[in-house]
Amino acid sequence: MATTLRLYLTCIRNTLEAAMCLQNFPCQEVERHNKPEVELKTSPELLLNPVLICRNEAEKCLIETSINSIRISLKVKQADELENILAKKFLRFLSMRAESFQVLRRKPVQGYDISFLITNYHCEDMHKHKLIDFIVQFMEDIDKEISELKLSVNTRGRLVATEFLKQFI
Amino acid sequence: MACFNRVSPALVEILNKLQSGESLTDFDHNLYEYGSVRYNIQASASSPQIVNLSTWMPPLSPEFSSVCLPDCALQDVKRVYLDSAAVVEPSKQGYMLTLRINFAELPQRKDDRTKAISEISSLQAVIRSSQMKDMLWNLEPRYMGNGMSNPIKIVHQLKEPFFVIKMLEKTTVIYPMRFKDDTDVVLATSFFQELVDVSNSEAHSKAPRCTWSPIPPPELRGEPFQYLTTNGGFVSVEIFSQHIRGTKADNTVWNLLTFVSYVKYHVKQCTRGFIQRKMRQRQESLTEVIRGARIRGDEVCKKHQIGDHKNVKKLMNFSRSKMFKKKYTIITNKIKKFHFRIRIKWLLHRFRRQWLRVRKIPLLRKYRKLD
Repeated sequence: MATTLRLYLTCIRNTLEAAMCLQNFPCQEVERHNKPEVELKTSPELLLNPVLICRNEAEKCLIETSINSIRISLKVKQADELENILAKKFLRFLSMRAESFQVLRRKPVQGYDISFLITNYHCEDMHKHKLIDFIVQFMEDIDKEISELKLSVNTRGRLVATEFLKQFI
Repeated sequence: MACFNRVSPALVEILNKLQSGESLTDFDHNLYEYGSVRYNIQASASSPQIVNLSTWMPPLSPEFSSVCLPDCALQDVKRVYLDSAAVVEPSKQGYMLTLRINFAELPQRKDDRTKAISEISSLQAVIRSSQMKDMLWNLEPRYMGNGMSNPIKIVHQLKEPFFVIKMLEKTTVIYPMRFKDDTDVVLATSFFQELVDVSNSEAHSKAPRCTWSPIPPPELRGEPFQYLTTNGGFVSVEIFSQHIRGTKADNTVWNLLTFVSYVKYHVKQCTRGFIQRKMRQRQESLTEVIRGARIRGDEVCKKHQIGDHKNVKKLMNFSRSKMFKKKYTIITNKIKKFHFRIRIKWLLHRFRRQWLRVRKIPLLRKYRKLD
């Protein structure tokens, strides 16, 4: 793994570890409502300052924390058109299957490619450290998958081109 | 379905059905392929071994349109189908060409017979290739000027015309590439870059040189605007005399005719399918991670495994000792059934009923009426 990527991921891990101390907190505005405060933003005293971690201009992670929920939004590297298309396709593919990930948001926050929403219920149901591991691994895997796909598409293209030209020789 | 195969799959299926003698009635079938090629297959119940196959296809180029088949194409068809079919003259009304196929004359061996039928089914490819060859080889002088012909528009597939420019030492084929989807455009662009790289490499120095440009090449200057607007750019393939020498000519011409289909097949069917498969694999591995994060993850995992089809095999896989134990219990249970108490009781009851029946004794306390 590249040093910059390792530092970036470590920084995100540490921030998540610090931010993920969630507790059950019913809505202050509406009785018998219990909603993620990070989404509704009804009471400013329940929100923490959002943390933006950037690896470069194209890759960044926004961590928004509240008393009962945390929202993590990611922007994935897209160096060229092919990477852009592949990232868009892959993240859309995952978003459409958000129910199998439980913490994945169906629609990303504006300006980002994919978002996660972790509530206190998720923290009660899952190991906190494993949840953080999942987020970090997700980020690693996305990068890896897009690079691999790009390479495979180019390799396949080369093979198909070679086969086509072979027919003339 | 990719339409760059020489053989028409529908025609193969129909001819196979006819040659196996499945249909015992008169047969008259019309078939349209790729929106423009028309076939008519006729067979009578009285002579099921003889089939008439007629075909019509639009002219390859509007500039060289003719109702009937050019002479060279007819010669080519006669040469290719010398052993397997005969050309009927005049052809059926409304069709370019009629072939009479006698199944009795086809080879008897199954493999050879299948090969012959596939050859007959590639009729469209034979006609198209010879039309194209005729057009290029015998280009009239009025089309040539300054050692370079005007671009000839060729329509092999509807809405996907391409241009051929004949020069003294080479022939350039220019394909305006159009795609419906942005994803396809990006994938195709990366493919074209690879194609250009490969054609310029030393290993493929004998292959035709390919170039790609997002803007129309200068050879197409003056062509109508509708043909010059593309989203996938223009691919040019330069063909030299070595590529059309001898037996190579047919193959080369067919490859040039079907290049657009070839690219679309690669982009749509192969690459997009491949990306989808890879994404699904990655999704499964990521789902495993989140499943493992659950505090009661093990129980949930087990439940999932039972539900999963993939793991059914795993559950069914018992060791030998377990299998033996299971069989042993089945046999012992069967033996036990023979000695089951209820069965003995039932037998004893029957025995008693038959042999040890106690007769009813009149009650002693009963009074008798006195007279």
